[in-house]
Amino acid sequence: MDAQTVDLSIEARDVAGRIHDLRDYLDLLAGHGQCITWPEAVMPEPDIRKIVVAASRDAMMGPAILFDKIRGYPGKRLVVGVHGSFSNIALLLGHQKGAGIKELFYEIIGRWRSDYPLIERVKPEDAAVNENRVESGINLYNLLPLYRINDMDGGFYIAKANIVSRDPRDPDDFDKQNVGIYRIQVQGPDRFTLLSVPSHDMARQIRMAEEDDVPLKIAVMIGNHPAMAMFAATPVNYDESEFAYASQMMGSPIQLTTSGNGMDVLAGSEMVIEAQLMNNQRCLEGPFGEFPGSYSGIRHVPLFEVTAVSHRTDPIFESIYIGKGWTEHDTLIGLNTCAPIYSQLKENFPEVVAVNALYQHGLTGIISVKNRFAGFAKSVAMRALGTPHGLMYLKNLIMVDDDVDPFDLNQVMWALSTRTRASDIIVIPNMPMVLIDPAAEIPGKGHRLIIDATSFMPPDPIGGDAKIVSPPSGDEIDDLAKYVQRLQREAENK
Amino acid sequence: MSCPRCRSSEEHLRTEYQGREGDEIIWTVYYCKRCSFTWRDSEPAESIEHGKREASFRADPDHPEKYKQNIPPAAE
Ligand SMILES: [Zn+2]
Repeated sequence: MDAQTVDLSIEARDVAGRIHDLRDYLDLLAGHGQCITWPEAVMPEPDIRKIVVAASRDAMMGPAILFDKIRGYPGKRLVVGVHGSFSNIALLLGHQKGAGIKELFYEIIGRWRSDYPLIERVKPEDAAVNENRVESGINLYNLLPLYRINDMDGGFYIAKANIVSRDPRDPDDFDKQNVGIYRIQVQGPDRFTLLSVPSHDMARQIRMAEEDDVPLKIAVMIGNHPAMAMFAATPVNYDESEFAYASQMMGSPIQLTTSGNGMDVLAGSEMVIEAQLMNNQRCLEGPFGEFPGSYSGIRHVPLFEVTAVSHRTDPIFESIYIGKGWTEHDTLIGLNTCAPIYSQLKENFPEVVAVNALYQHGLTGIISVKNRFAGFAKSVAMRALGTPHGLMYLKNLIMVDDDVDPFDLNQVMWALSTRTRASDIIVIPNMPMVLIDPAAEIPGKGHRLIIDATSFMPPDPIGGDAKIVSPPSGDEIDDLAKYVQRLQREAENK
Repeated sequence: MSCPRCRSSEEHLRTEYQGREGDEIIWTVYYCKRCSFTWRDSEPAESIEHGKREASFRADPDHPEKYKQNIPPAAE
């Protein structure tokens, strides 16, 4: 491999080389008991919702669920929860099932910002996604086992697609191609609305197309290489390619082909829906149960017309459950929310040890830092609020010492209990806030909370007498913990 | 039949798809052209019966100005 790529472990390299698409990943998961085919027939509602919520309760070990007996959709396949637990993410990264979150965090950090894109081109006629093509009589209900994710959603959503679009003013520039996850509500057999945050790339492209009255073509990729869903949601600059970034993070090539409407798409996707913006047309969209665990409202949202669909034979519709946490959404984007905050903080403060921003896309964050003097952690917290993600999302910040694993909530609660004084809490009123925060008095504005739960340092006179017990720790204890679990399993199986 | 969300009458509804197993129709999906609600007639009553839906989840297509624009159309 090229020297510019990241230095992967043998296991990680092996996994990266084996996984080219969703099917390869499902095979890997199934081999470890992390993808289950649901044995019974299910109704689209409410059975699917109930089963996937039950499966996603276990954030560490929950499996993906594949449904192939959905009433009224004979022969169609649906998979939910592919990125639904940290064990599933661990296997993708070449770690053991059950690996600790902190271990996975450092794996992501180790891969962060390698800068060499690994792209393999596949001719359209050789691409698996082009095994079947529909150009007339398109009915999305005939192609996908669509269903209502939460019971008060306004319709049936395609909620885990990666959408490719090109700058309508510069359609030949590969790097100005945008890949993002946007929620899609089906509005008819060949119509859908696509919701984008007004400041995001897609919204910018919609405005450009309508202002110039030029076509905006998009490709909706469903059932993708697992790295795409994980890393396309990570904010990269407008002129960086998400494809390149996903391939760097995986450390192995991503296979691209060209869709019928000229977009670069993954050659091994289960389905690619080609569509075009219906300029200036809007349609009511929502509500939709969103990641903070509350419904969005109804809005007028841009409408698209489906122009063609390519799909693999017996395609698998990959979907996600989103709602009140913990859900697959939290696992899917969690580590990639932590990584940029960590690397940006680290530039100014090498004392930062780890960042846990797993909760509701970082509405609550826990940062562990090597304390230098009294109040130091508060300054680090202020800097975190100034990072690009912190600016809108980091609402509640808990600062802990470097002897506390921010991913282990029992340890965090220990720090809160023993190292926090009520006067170590800071509220910064009337700050910018992501629109979706359900606790906002006014959407877009909110208060920030910093809890300094780090130890007391000079010149602070308090707490100097507290001598901390040092229980044994490190690799030896980690190995012993695993050994205890193994003995437990063996005892159970006797 | 009327829309479970806005009570629009049958003429505003469209049949999207019928889920079949052999000759048997298992369910039918409908769409309301006025409020965009989509539903399957096999869903639990809390989702598809107007009287059982919470009032805050109804829609009022007679007053579209109640609903915000995600991205306002350029030609307006
Ligand atoms: Zn209606």
